[in-house]
Amino acid sequence: MSAAGLRLDQAPPFFVPLRFFITAPIFGALAAATLLAGGPQALASRWTPTALAATHLLTLGFLTMTMVGALMQLLPVLAGSPLRHPRTVATVVHGLLSAGTLALAANFLIPGPVLQFVSLAALSVGLGVFLFAAGTSLARARSDATVLAMRLAATGLLITLLIGVLIGLGGTPSRFSADKTSTDMHLASGLIGWIAILVMGVAYQVVPMFQLTRAYPSWLRRWLVPLLFVALLLWIIAARMAHALPALFAALSLGLVATVLAIFAVTTLWLQSQRKRRLPDATVRFWTLSMIGLLAAVAIMAGHAVGIIVEPRFALLAVAWLIVGFGISAVHGMLYKIVPFLAWLHLNAAGASSAQTNMKAFLPDSQALPHVWLHAAAVALLAPAVLADPRWIYPAALALLGSFIWLGRNLVLATLLYLRLQRASKSPQASTEKIVGTAR
Amino acid sequence: MPERVLDVSDLPPPEPLEQVTAALGNLAPGDYLRILHRREPLLLYPWLEEHGFVWSTQPGETTSFEIFIWRRSEEQPTIVATPVLKRT
Repeated sequence: MSAAGLRLDQAPPFFVPLRFFITAPIFGALAAATLLAGGPQALASRWTPTALAATHLLTLGFLTMTMVGALMQLLPVLAGSPLRHPRTVATVVHGLLSAGTLALAANFLIPGPVLQFVSLAALSVGLGVFLFAAGTSLARARSDATVLAMRLAATGLLITLLIGVLIGLGGTPSRFSADKTSTDMHLASGLIGWIAILVMGVAYQVVPMFQLTRAYPSWLRRWLVPLLFVALLLWIIAARMAHALPALFAALSLGLVATVLAIFAVTTLWLQSQRKRRLPDATVRFWTLSMIGLLAAVAIMAGHAVGIIVEPRFALLAVAWLIVGFGISAVHGMLYKIVPFLAWLHLNAAGASSAQTNMKAFLPDSQALPHVWLHAAAVALLAPAVLADPRWIYPAALALLGSFIWLGRNLVLATLLYLRLQRASKSPQASTEKIVGTAR
Repeated sequence: MPERVLDVSDLPPPEPLEQVTAALGNLAPGDYLRILHRREPLLLYPWLEEHGFVWSTQPGETTSFEIFIWRRSEEQPTIVATPVLKRT
């Protein structure tokens, strides 16, 4: 007897989340190519068109793309509350998010009213549809730490979108720098409110499940995410009302954000260090890298809060490490586990024998483990590119480009193997044919 | 009623599911299976229903959960106590 014939009552079809996962590395590679084309001037400040285009290709095109796909899969599994009409929602959101992100990145490089309208309309409608669908699902879900984090993360995405649209309507990219407060709020709600809070809420479930660690302490699961959200709101208030509030208020709220993120990172690293199963695992390594990236960014934030670090380029490095080091590394780790698992699950549900399908075959360790080092190199090279010599942008962007191409290749090969095994399981000889994936 | 014990608490997904379904295929008539698990195996339950098994999930002694599984056509093992977390 085998796991063949698993019932997937609530899970969406495989290609609902997969289309987001497969598309994301393309946007990541585009971001790296944009930085390469921009050259040493790209990271001269956070306001260069190249930096803005690359940032949005990474945050919308890679991070939001994968997180929306993951949420469509995780809402039924972790929250017990599936999205309604998953195929339609996936098609609309995926199409508009892709088009809107491309138009936005292009609009930073080539300002103009048409691209501006297309990007704002596509992103507003695409993310609006997703937020409505996910919000309805989350309203029905039974509440726990992960569901609460998903609700707060959706709120963070909504705030980020609204501020982003207001900034976009406010003028051309060259005028963005005129309103640093709005862009600071947009950045903080996007990186902390949307990305960090969602990573934390999902980590509570998937780190123990897939990395075989002990559970996160219950006090941490209960308090850390709400505390981070409150700290974020205080920081936003401090930024908005800088003229009326003492500077200490802003420093304390930023310090609180940094402390909460540090507690999460250190706890995750501690849980990983206590694993009983010591086999090398790409997901574990990507999450270790992610937590180190988070701690490095947090160290800069803490230095800023206490007044040791004041130079703007350090803030730029903190943002770069939050995106590339923390967020993108964590998503790599998640994709390297969730894609093979979903492929295995859907093949078994379709009737393929679990004795014949091997989850490891979809993403062999030999393809995933060395990838961590290339991505780690990209994260590390950002430091000299931002702080020392801008020419370091070339090796940094090249490493990042290679990393996204590597991810894309692995995901495409996993998908092709899935399709081949699916065809084999449907063929009349399926019961006798050995369809173990050994092609790689 | 003889007991077969299967500890899957240290295995990554989907190995627990693979091992449990394989063990149930080899379960002798009259035996029941006691699974030691660190999570509740939500994907397993519908599969058990479809394949003619009954289960009872309880807090475990050494692991977070113990799942007792027996054939629907057979008697409930006497070891299965109340309260149960989940039962059909």
